[in-house]
Amino acid sequence: MLEVKNLTKSFQAAGGVVHALNDVSFSVKTGEFASIIGKSGSGKSTLLSMLGALDVPTSGSIIVDDTDIAKLSAHKQTGYRSKKIGFVFQHYNLIPNLTAKENVMLALEFGGLPANQRKARAEELLSEVGIEPDQQLRKPNKLSGGQQQRVSIARAIANRPSIILADEPTGNLDSETGKKIFDLLHNLSRSENTTILAVTHDLDIAGKTDRTFSLIDGKITTKSK
Amino acid sequence: MNVVSRGVKNALRSPLRSGGIVLMLAISIGLILSMLVARGSVETKIASLQSTTGTTVTITPAGVSGFQGGGNPLTAANVTTIQKTAHITATTATLSDQLGSTDTNLTSSLTLGSFGARQARFDTNSGSSSFAGGGSGSTAAAPTLTPHITVTGTTNPNSVATNGGTLKITSGTTINGSGSSYVALIGSSLATKNSLTAGSTFTAYGQTFTVSGIYSTGNTFQDSGIIMPLATVQNLSSQVGDVTSVTATVDSSSNVSTTVTNLKTELGTAADITSEATEAAASVSSLTSISNLALAGVIGASIAGAIIVLLAMVMIVRERRREIGVIKAIGGTNGKVIGQFMTEALTLTVIGGIVGLVLGVLVSGPVTTSLVSSNSTTTTSTTGPGGGFGGGAGRGFARAFNGGVGQVGTNIKQVTASLTPQIFLSAVGIVLLIAIIGSAIPAWLIARVRPAEVLRTE
Repeated sequence: MLEVKNLTKSFQAAGGVVHALNDVSFSVKTGEFASIIGKSGSGKSTLLSMLGALDVPTSGSIIVDDTDIAKLSAHKQTGYRSKKIGFVFQHYNLIPNLTAKENVMLALEFGGLPANQRKARAEELLSEVGIEPDQQLRKPNKLSGGQQQRVSIARAIANRPSIILADEPTGNLDSETGKKIFDLLHNLSRSENTTILAVTHDLDIAGKTDRTFSLIDGKITTKSK
Repeated sequence: MNVVSRGVKNALRSPLRSGGIVLMLAISIGLILSMLVARGSVETKIASLQSTTGTTVTITPAGVSGFQGGGNPLTAANVTTIQKTAHITATTATLSDQLGSTDTNLTSSLTLGSFGARQARFDTNSGSSSFAGGGSGSTAAAPTLTPHITVTGTTNPNSVATNGGTLKITSGTTINGSGSSYVALIGSSLATKNSLTAGSTFTAYGQTFTVSGIYSTGNTFQDSGIIMPLATVQNLSSQVGDVTSVTATVDSSSNVSTTVTNLKTELGTAADITSEATEAAASVSSLTSISNLALAGVIGASIAGAIIVLLAMVMIVRERRREIGVIKAIGGTNGKVIGQFMTEALTLTVIGGIVGLVLGVLVSGPVTTSLVSSNSTTTTSTTGPGGGFGGGAGRGFARAFNGGVGQVGTNIKQVTASLTPQIFLSAVGIVLLIAIIGSAIPAWLIARVRPAEVLRTE
């Protein structure tokens, strides 16, 4: 269960205080696939940063499995990110010097999996998302966009997180590949009972999720479904 | 794959850039090593010079110089005091005397000349017929006068050598200066004049002496003298226990000034003391400059190396800011990220270090030679006939001057680059220090990268 209460994030800018998020409250049940839509600058990425403990809110709370992650120490937030959260980025953000398998093993290392189990687990995860054994040994620049995003998803689910936060996961892909990636995420939410929160501007994709939140000028204005 | 293996792998990520960094580091580290080697060699040579050069202190009775002046000779008690003074490792006691025509059957090999005649004018007035020393000149002097023959009673016959080394015995054997038998070494000129060879006998002080050997110094005055055991001269000249000069050797030239002060305190007004403290300082001053220059080189090259690593790592961190953000976003701690980048810096430094150490070993010899040859100065001394008055003090100083300062130039040229384990370990330590210092600021930059930036740059 993810519960956001009265979340606010303000910045001091030259023109005065800017409220990137303004009293945002919503909740997503465990295993739900929810989407957030909104224009550029509406606060989507800021909200994702707060939910992923990448940044701290000005006020409000984010309750994940009965823990307010906004109040965690920096060290505990790192632990939260490694075990409870999986990130999927628009530009994949794989480590360029590591192979597909090593990228997944990196997340497993941070999740605390013993070294002797990482390789097998990484191969299993990559197979799950459709990366062939020979592709697993390639570096990201030798993989297509869709393949890189699959590796990114394998990395995100490596430590069996409670929540996957996806920032425009199909934004860099053609519609056909984007659909496949969406289906992959959708199946994950069903099979692993993982909560997925995806930021997107693709209304078709948003329409297929369990719930859609519309973010305008830092405020949740619509909660459809 | 762990932090270390990722760091090592990243270090080799861009071969061209890594190669450039390694090359710059190698030059820097090679310079550090060669400077350390140069400094080590020079320091060794300084220590060697300090223990062998300018370590002589000459003590003479107050008011006496050779056979000039007046006063009382040094006593046996004075000699004991000198021997017990701190830092003095050896002493040579000398008693100089002169033999007139009535004291010996030998004829001086020196001619009186105008110089001898002027010095002898007082002796002429007092009825003496001989005087020490001589020289070329007009025939103004009275022909009946002849120069005295100088006798040196010494515990160490080598002290008469003018080159600071061992007295050259051209025939026969040397004598035991610590004995008291009637044996003597005869200067080559005196021996020729009196047709003496090893085994010949002559009379002096009313006793018959056996010529043990003939010596040659190349100095006309010295080669016209006689060397006997100290005790023999003391006994036969009725000067038991007396000496006219003590040459003391100090353990290091750096202790000469202190020793002179102590001797002055102990002996008071009884003695005049001369030392080679100034010459000793001069003998190592050029080497000290080289040592300081080498140390500056080590520090400069170390700073350059640290700056190379620092700038390289700052560049790498800035370039991989997003990557750092991603690692943090997926759960990497600051420690792990910093560890990875420090391993990367260390890998580059170690590779640069290995190449640099090989480079350093190859160039350290030429660098040391170059540094020494461009800074060394050679001092030459000249000796010639005439000899002065031939007393212990004058002779001791001349010997030390020839043997000490004149040797500096030769010694400096002999400095050879030597790579000791200590120097090698110092170089390795500096390499590691360079990696740590060079990584410190990049590590701080890494810690400041906020994982949220990975989303902001999308």
